[in-house]
Amino acid sequence: MNDPGFDRVCEELSRRAPGEWELYQKTGESLDLEATVAGRATTARREEGWAARWWEGSAPRFASGSSPENLQRALAGVSRISTSREPPPAWPAAKSPPRKASGSIEPPPDLFEELQRQVSAESRGEALLQGLAVRRGASTERVVNGNGLDVSFSGELFDGHALAIGRKGSRACEARVVFRWDQGPDLESLARRLADRATLPLSDKPTPVDRGEWLLEPSVGAALLSALAPLFCEDTLPKWVHRAELFAPLVTIADDASADALYDGEGTQTRRVAVVEGGALAARLHDLRSARREDATPTGHGVRPSYRVPPAPGPRRIFFETDTPVPQRELLARVRRGLFASALTSPARFDFERDRYEVEFTGIAVAGGRAHGPVAGARARGRISQLLRRITGLSTDRHFFPMPYPAGAPTLLVERTDFD
Amino acid sequence: MNLDTATVARWLEPLVKRPEEIAEVFAERRREITIDWRDGEIREARESLTEGLSARWKGLSGQRLAFVSRCDEEGARQAVRAVQREIGLSPLPVKPARGREESAAPAGLDAERWIKRLPALFTRHAPRHRLRWTLRDVARQVIPARGDASVFARRLMSLDGTFTAASRLGDEKRDFAFHAPVGESTAEELRVALTHAGQPRDTATPCGEGETDVVLAAGCAAVLFHEILSHPLEAGAESPLSGLEQARLGPAEVEVRDDANRLDLFGGYERDDEGVAPRMVKLLDAGRLSGRLTDRAHAVAGAPSNGHARRAGPQEAPLPRGSNLLVGPGHSTADEILRRLSSGLWIEQINGGSVELASGRFRLYFPRARRVRRGRMADECGAGVLSGEILPVLRSIDPGIGREVRACRALAWCARGGQVVPVQGAAPDMLVRKFFVRPSR
Repeated sequence: MNDPGFDRVCEELSRRAPGEWELYQKTGESLDLEATVAGRATTARREEGWAARWWEGSAPRFASGSSPENLQRALAGVSRISTSREPPPAWPAAKSPPRKASGSIEPPPDLFEELQRQVSAESRGEALLQGLAVRRGASTERVVNGNGLDVSFSGELFDGHALAIGRKGSRACEARVVFRWDQGPDLESLARRLADRATLPLSDKPTPVDRGEWLLEPSVGAALLSALAPLFCEDTLPKWVHRAELFAPLVTIADDASADALYDGEGTQTRRVAVVEGGALAARLHDLRSARREDATPTGHGVRPSYRVPPAPGPRRIFFETDTPVPQRELLARVRRGLFASALTSPARFDFERDRYEVEFTGIAVAGGRAHGPVAGARARGRISQLLRRITGLSTDRHFFPMPYPAGAPTLLVERTDFD
Repeated sequence: MNLDTATVARWLEPLVKRPEEIAEVFAERRREITIDWRDGEIREARESLTEGLSARWKGLSGQRLAFVSRCDEEGARQAVRAVQREIGLSPLPVKPARGREESAAPAGLDAERWIKRLPALFTRHAPRHRLRWTLRDVARQVIPARGDASVFARRLMSLDGTFTAASRLGDEKRDFAFHAPVGESTAEELRVALTHAGQPRDTATPCGEGETDVVLAAGCAAVLFHEILSHPLEAGAESPLSGLEQARLGPAEVEVRDDANRLDLFGGYERDDEGVAPRMVKLLDAGRLSGRLTDRAHAVAGAPSNGHARRAGPQEAPLPRGSNLLVGPGHSTADEILRRLSSGLWIEQINGGSVELASGRFRLYFPRARRVRRGRMADECGAGVLSGEILPVLRSIDPGIGREVRACRALAWCARGGQVVPVQGAAPDMLVRKFFVRPSR
């Protein structure tokens, strides 16, 4: 270790909790370009953060700071608070070569005009792009613990959000869409999502069906998957969960962030975990503490949304899979009478305690495998347990969306859904 | 804060050549203590001490902001250099790298006193709970290229989570949220709020769906006005209120204003995040649309910023935002309002809301309500969503407004464009006709 500040904190932690500590450091840099009709705004950020977790007197504590000096002050402050006891986790031990951020970041491209043109074309002039924010970033993380772990890893980021407004007569509708690009800008899909979300609600047409098939666009499927994610991280499952047949047999859900980072926020090696396999609940996502509580092996899912909060179990790159994917067109053909959900109009609500869900969306009515005009707003609701078992088709067109972690879903077909 | 204001202002001077240009350095030091309580035991304690600063330039052609996570002269130099490079000026000379300057230790948060006091309060009023308590100490400094530098600080406390309370047919889990600046009366106010939240109630039945008249009581009308007036009147926002200045939108009895000077409320401050002293802004004056919330970038000739530039932190550029939403009192008693309602819902708690500015549609989420039949309180109903559109709802406000204004301590954080800032409000009981209501699950 070459950083004197880092070494000082390690010494302090070793003194307070010999062998039972962890130190995390993150340095990140990002460039944002926010484009509107009025002009351009750029933001350059350079952030550093330190976080420590330690078991002093068998009680867990957490401190964070924007410098080693601030971390040491926070550490001293929180040490004075007595917390209830909890056995320390089994700390991982590994070493990796030190990594540094890959030099300067390329500024994000100005795609406003091009996207504006595509949104107008997709919406036949009904929607107008109001703003586009694109961010490029890179970060390096290092985790060291009292068990000899010293790993570092780096990551890159290319994401943003866009705002469009659809107008029809005196009525208007706002569409805010977040995106993440793993392989360069994908303006076509972004323009389509913006145009659909901004213009479909203006049709003012209610849902023509109260029960039928429900076809979910990948972004809607990803939002549903993200709303379901707590099921894969909870210590105790709700009573309605039948492990062997939680989902329809064709559904597999896996989490695998190995392409993004070799280690999680606690230094556990990243690996693929199939949480649902052939419709059955196969595994859960663990961080070090939850693994210790359940006497299980950590799965590499200790997630730190920021250095300011302690790691907690959570998905890192979760996605649907199936052995029998079918083309999107075939799924559409299977819809006898139902709705295609093109975009959510409010966050999906899942009440795991009561086994109820409610999803509000805008989309298109479908009958006999053909589109039959827009639906301004519809609501699908019912039992979560039934929703999961009624997924009867997954398409080949999987896309990832920031939730804020990447969540991947193809077009999904759900049968016998109640709408209002 | 130990930045030399004269030196930093000198660095910023070359950035502002035209009168419309803005340049400043914004620095923040933040200390937070968070404690997770479960059934009287501290399960987790954490403390965070962070600092950072950013330099910003704004002109007619756009805006440039550079952030570094340090709060010393070296950090200010780095940030100003980055902005100078971006706008094509020759940057400040590089100084030999120095270590971080030792920043002054932040003031003690007095957390120990609260940690001793809270268990007794919990044991008495909510012995079974999962609550998170947070104490935040935030100090900010703004050094503009022109004008005086300013320093300001806030100490805020939050307690939120769930607890188990008695209902007539057994125990039930209830949400609790209390956010207030730390002051002499905060502990007593918290005790009263916790006592009220823990009172026995009837078991709730699901609420119905359809149009209904609603009384927003116990200060929660502030959440409604925060959504339907404060957001649409943020400078630069396009909404159904755009272009309706001085139009009569509601009864003449309705007075709504935004006042950041109310430091007893969570959203108050002495200086905004551009260093401007905030002024009270009338949003609805005798039912007429009146002012807008502005920052320096949205100020117009003859009407300077009214001190509503706000940032979530130094890494963000300021946006015009609301602070404390205050509704003026009327003359009606609670009984009179109940009689005027005759039949509908009486709501004392709203957990959150949202508004879509382009269409003017909004939603408010309530955890429970009391049905009112023939002017009398009847049974309890469960969680639901109130929705409507801005202009029709403003027209539907009943002129019989309550005489007692109460703070809505559950209203605390407002998100816009990814930036979360503290807000709050206070309002009397208000009757609003023809809300659309539906059960939330």
